[in-house]
Amino acid sequence: MITLVKAFISAALAGLLGLDAVQAFQFLLARPAFVGPVLGLLNGCPLEGARIGILLELLYIDFIPVGGVVPPNGTAAAAAGVLAYCAGGLAPSLAFFIGLAAGVLYSPVEYRLRAARSPWNARVEAEVSAGEITLRRWLAGAMLAESAAMTVYVLACAAVAAAAGALPGISRLYPGTDFAYSLMPWLGLSGLYFRFRTQARKKG
Amino acid sequence: MLFSMFLRSFFIQAGWNYERFQNLGFAFSLEPALKKFYPDREKFKAAMLRHLHIFNTQPYMAGFVLGNIARMEERAAAAPSPEAELKNMPGVKQALASSFASIGDRIFWGRLKPMTAQICLLVWAAGGFYGWLFTGMNAPASAALLLAGPLLGIVFYSAFSVYWRWVGLKAGYACGGAANCALDASNWPRLIKLLSTAGFAMSLAIAVMAFSLLAGFNSGATVQGMALKAGLAISVLVLHRVSRALGRSVFFAAGLVLAVSLLVFSVFKVEAFKLYL
Repeated sequence: MITLVKAFISAALAGLLGLDAVQAFQFLLARPAFVGPVLGLLNGCPLEGARIGILLELLYIDFIPVGGVVPPNGTAAAAAGVLAYCAGGLAPSLAFFIGLAAGVLYSPVEYRLRAARSPWNARVEAEVSAGEITLRRWLAGAMLAESAAMTVYVLACAAVAAAAGALPGISRLYPGTDFAYSLMPWLGLSGLYFRFRTQARKKG
Repeated sequence: MLFSMFLRSFFIQAGWNYERFQNLGFAFSLEPALKKFYPDREKFKAAMLRHLHIFNTQPYMAGFVLGNIARMEERAAAAPSPEAELKNMPGVKQALASSFASIGDRIFWGRLKPMTAQICLLVWAAGGFYGWLFTGMNAPASAALLLAGPLLGIVFYSAFSVYWRWVGLKAGYACGGAANCALDASNWPRLIKLLSTAGFAMSLAIAVMAFSLLAGFNSGATVQGMALKAGLAISVLVLHRVSRALGRSVFFAAGLVLAVSLLVFSVFKVEAFKLYL
């Protein structure tokens, strides 16, 4: 019961922190490196939370949110990964790969939410023309929808992870996932190294 | 008025949409200025509608455009015939949005954001937490240290972003009206180069540290054992490099590592080993 309550609180917190990625502030509170340890602490697994978070961060650094690009979502990835381990009972290695996939699969959700706001423009213009300035309400509505979508998505991922954890024979995957997981830091460090090496060589 | 615009600019992307991008957030951020300049309700409405058109820039650099446009609106409101000022406005807005987006993307997304991860790793390493490199290692680390890594990165990054949001708004408002207004607020190429060099130096330090830790934690291993472990780490680096050269994302490399590991250790049941002793 306590695990379930913590999972709900964690998903809601992920929904709030997720707003920082695009919609509000952008202090990088939505980055997996922060979300991981915070949710880990909340669920009693700070070490694994930090580890899953930073490894996701290193892999997600490859993606830059320029223009209209919707990159894989780091908040969803970290939250799903941490809950898959702490609440779902999966091995950290499998939880990490579930988080990785969850972040990628959240992109279409985010795309649809953004696309759904396009028709708002005509409605806002009509309101402003009528002398009613309610931009604050529209923006609050957008943030509420994004936050709710993230919360529900993270909870769904945690439920899928818990169901996967109950599958007989799931532990047979662990030797493979554990080994792949042990190589992920090197993959992340490689991304970090080559990103700056290319930039340092550029003239401008 | 400027402070109110500054606070609202933190929500410039709140209504991001594919039709007009940041338009809702831009109009919301500019609203306090327009309210002040246009006490007349009809003129205020017309001004708000002007700024509900397409707008997109790098969010941290939006202040430069906001300040500039606020100044142009102020002049238009005070002018007996504002047509010329209003005619120039969309062009100036577009030119500045594009220029500052290009600068901001390079500084914030391209350099500062990855640097926050570097800061986190360096803080953890300095605090003696190596579990981020050796995933099976369960050596305890305090919650304070685990949080200090990402938080220091966030403080470093936010200091830059909040500074440029505020300075951009003030600089744009001070020189508003020109398409090159405040583009000289800093020596951007120098700043970009400086951040690239600092980032590369930190990357190099982290790479050297990672390989040193690998060697240190395998000091009792045989030469073949050590060569295998170092070779594995290097092959992952090469795999990532090749994936990039082929235009594939890091997920391709991660997927390949996972698939091969599952095949070798879960299907063929080869005895697995850890990267540290």
